[in-house]
Amino acid sequence: MTTAPAPPSPNAPLGAPAAGPGPRTLPRPRPASAAAALTGAALLAAAVWSLIDLRINPATLADSAGNAADFLSRMLPLDFPPLAELAPPLLETLAIVTAATVLSVVLSTPLAVWAAGNTAPGRPARAAARAAIVVARAVPDVVLAVLFFRILGFGALTGVLAMGLHSVGMVGKLYADAVEQIDEGPRAALRAAGASRLQELVGGVLPQVLPSFIATALHRFDVNLRISVILGFVGVAGIGQEISHALGRLDYQRGMALAVVVLALCVAVELVSVAARRALLPGTEQRAGGLVRLAARLAPALGARRAGARDAAGAPVGTAAGGADPRAASAAAPASGRLTPRWTAGRVRRAAAVAAAGAAVLASVAAVATEAQAAGSRAPLEALALFWPPETGGIGDRLLEGLLLTVQIAFAATLLGALLALPVGVLAARNVAPNSGVAQTCRMFIVVVRGVPELILAIVFVVMIGLGPVAGTLALAIGAVGLLGKLAADSVEEVDPGPERALRAVGASGPQVFLSATLPQALPAFVGHLLYQLDVNIRSATVLGIVGAGGIGYELLNAARVQEFGTVTLITLMVFAVVMAVEALAVRLRRVAA
Amino acid sequence: MEADSRTEDTEGRDTAAEAAVAADEGTVVEFDAVTKAFGADAPALDEVSLTARAGEVVVLLGLSGSGKSTLLRHVDGLQAPTSGRVRVLGTDVGAASSRELRRLRRRVGFVFQQFHLVGPLTVLENVCHGALGGLRAPRLGLPLYPRTVRRAALEQLGRVGLADRAFQRADTLSGGQQQRVAVARALLQRPEILLADEPVASLDPESAHQVMELIRAVAAEERLTVLCSLHQVDLALSWGDRVVGLRSGRVVMDAPTAGLGRDEAMAVYSRVGAPAPAPVA
Repeated sequence: MTTAPAPPSPNAPLGAPAAGPGPRTLPRPRPASAAAALTGAALLAAAVWSLIDLRINPATLADSAGNAADFLSRMLPLDFPPLAELAPPLLETLAIVTAATVLSVVLSTPLAVWAAGNTAPGRPARAAARAAIVVARAVPDVVLAVLFFRILGFGALTGVLAMGLHSVGMVGKLYADAVEQIDEGPRAALRAAGASRLQELVGGVLPQVLPSFIATALHRFDVNLRISVILGFVGVAGIGQEISHALGRLDYQRGMALAVVVLALCVAVELVSVAARRALLPGTEQRAGGLVRLAARLAPALGARRAGARDAAGAPVGTAAGGADPRAASAAAPASGRLTPRWTAGRVRRAAAVAAAGAAVLASVAAVATEAQAAGSRAPLEALALFWPPETGGIGDRLLEGLLLTVQIAFAATLLGALLALPVGVLAARNVAPNSGVAQTCRMFIVVVRGVPELILAIVFVVMIGLGPVAGTLALAIGAVGLLGKLAADSVEEVDPGPERALRAVGASGPQVFLSATLPQALPAFVGHLLYQLDVNIRSATVLGIVGAGGIGYELLNAARVQEFGTVTLITLMVFAVVMAVEALAVRLRRVAA
Repeated sequence: MEADSRTEDTEGRDTAAEAAVAADEGTVVEFDAVTKAFGADAPALDEVSLTARAGEVVVLLGLSGSGKSTLLRHVDGLQAPTSGRVRVLGTDVGAASSRELRRLRRRVGFVFQQFHLVGPLTVLENVCHGALGGLRAPRLGLPLYPRTVRRAALEQLGRVGLADRAFQRADTLSGGQQQRVAVARALLQRPEILLADEPVASLDPESAHQVMELIRAVAAEERLTVLCSLHQVDLALSWGDRVVGLRSGRVVMDAPTAGLGRDEAMAVYSRVGAPAPAPVA
């Protein structure tokens, strides 16, 4: 404790002008916050310059409106293939995406335990796990696909490995974060009870992270479904390849029809994913600590089985399993002598969902494994050697230009996206929206936008506006509404409601409460999300270049086509360097902001 | 309300509300058979009737979950009754428009158990928040508050002994210091009523003592009407003019502290058997 309260002094009337200069009522400027403001201003300036330089303005957009009519006439009527023709590539895509997601989960779980600060077996292991995750994220799936074609040839397995390995970059990271955020109490209790390290992880950590693990896996499934379409453009079988072929022979009626099918598939997957989340994770739809509350609810459920087993073995049921036991014991040992929970409707639903998910995974893995794989031409090491050393391929200038263009697209798209997404996202937050109708409408809008794969948007804009960066920027900007809007809404809803309540008690109006209590708490998250979006956009801008939306991705595709694998590596490294630079900036800015 | 001499020297009070003064001279808070139900659960408040006169210090006692917080939140309309009527400073809280509620809240200070400061903002800006009810536009950033408000905030901060912390982030302070900042925020409102919801329950004994002394001192100096929930029975008896005991949302005791024994007050906490409610003061 520091100084005791000063003796109360007579209270001067509020608003009385004090004579003389008086004490400072504003803080002296600090260098750290000035630097942060400067960095922010520089980033904003870069984004504005990119918008101007790419000539993204109302006039350009008006010009392309004319093309839109033209485009519509070329794509209508949509030419849907018969179901018998449509089903095989659709099922193949689903099988590849499922298997890839499962692969990433299987690889990410142990990696996350190693990479999380609280569960890592040691510093070297942690560094190695972190490095593996960063590398997985750094190498684009498209490049992995190009690599695996050399080794395995064309086939489903190529797509599974490319997507599965690249997914580890995101899944592993989020899993490690989830592990780091657990409540250490239950783990300590298990340790105190004499649990082994593995018991501690499974009994004390897993129940807490399971909801977020499942949510992350479902999210990644969704992402991979979109990516599989892009991989189709570089030769992975499935619906994406069908689109690529159709567009290649300028058959827009068939191509757009297939794009609509993908769109429907994405929406269907989203619906299934929401249903699965609800069945597997009751309560996750609630906000603010829903996961924590859920973990608290899951822990006793898991504890019940253990407690029951111990009970049956004649051992004392007691304090061993941490805080879970008192409730667990009473739930597990009613008068009837029942040792497992009753089969309530909820439990039946959960079990059915688990069984269905398991069956889908098995079927997908079986489908991919039995798929005839064209023999690969190279041994793994030999293929890897093709990619080293990095080479400019004599087009170093063009590569730099392409990289600059990609970064410009990313900046411009982030700014445009933020202008669209932040207002929508804030209004979608229940604690800020003037009424629940507004919040729900905005949420719905975000969900719908999220449902549209960026690739489809890019293709539409490319066909409408023509090849080039404007198409890519617009596609990414609209895509940003889905991601940034959701992140903004979530972080606004997650602020501590206490200060909001305090300001309401003071008599502050809704907008006052938002600006003075909600926004300051959410601001660091906003800054983080914007930089994250920039990071995502740089990667996406690279990939979208592959379908002709401008930038370095176009060079990447060309290099792969003419088998200049050294150039593919160089481009990968260049993009990686830029992404790392953005991430370093993000870390610094967040440190100042938080 | 006319009996409340403190209102006369402060400008901008709501004369319309004063016209509708409750019949009982000097009554500033009046609960009349107030019930608050959340869904199908047992009601948080069950037919609560209670009054507080100007300048009175009323201490609420009761187990956690007995309805103390809910009761306090009804006083400045953070919650509306399911049935019954709450009149505060002449305003019918259940029927008031959001505008009237805001006007009422300006006159009622609230100190929360968890302080509820905006962590990333400076201490002084948090105190300035107390003036938001009287300011028009939303604002973020100290420079956007009028200099007079900042001066007054600095003064209140000095009053709670934390003027030297004005430009520090609020979340860098200790719990006791944060609660003193929260008291300064409430004082900036120049409230007529001070509500405090277990203001020291989250603090260590030493900080708790300091904060409690501070609240007692300013309440006495400003002759505030105080409604404060506490767990310390001895403190309740030494400070309060009246003690109100709640159990399961019902008023089980309402008695002046003069002549009230410790054991009688403790009976509020007993789990079995409700003592006969003491005669209403």
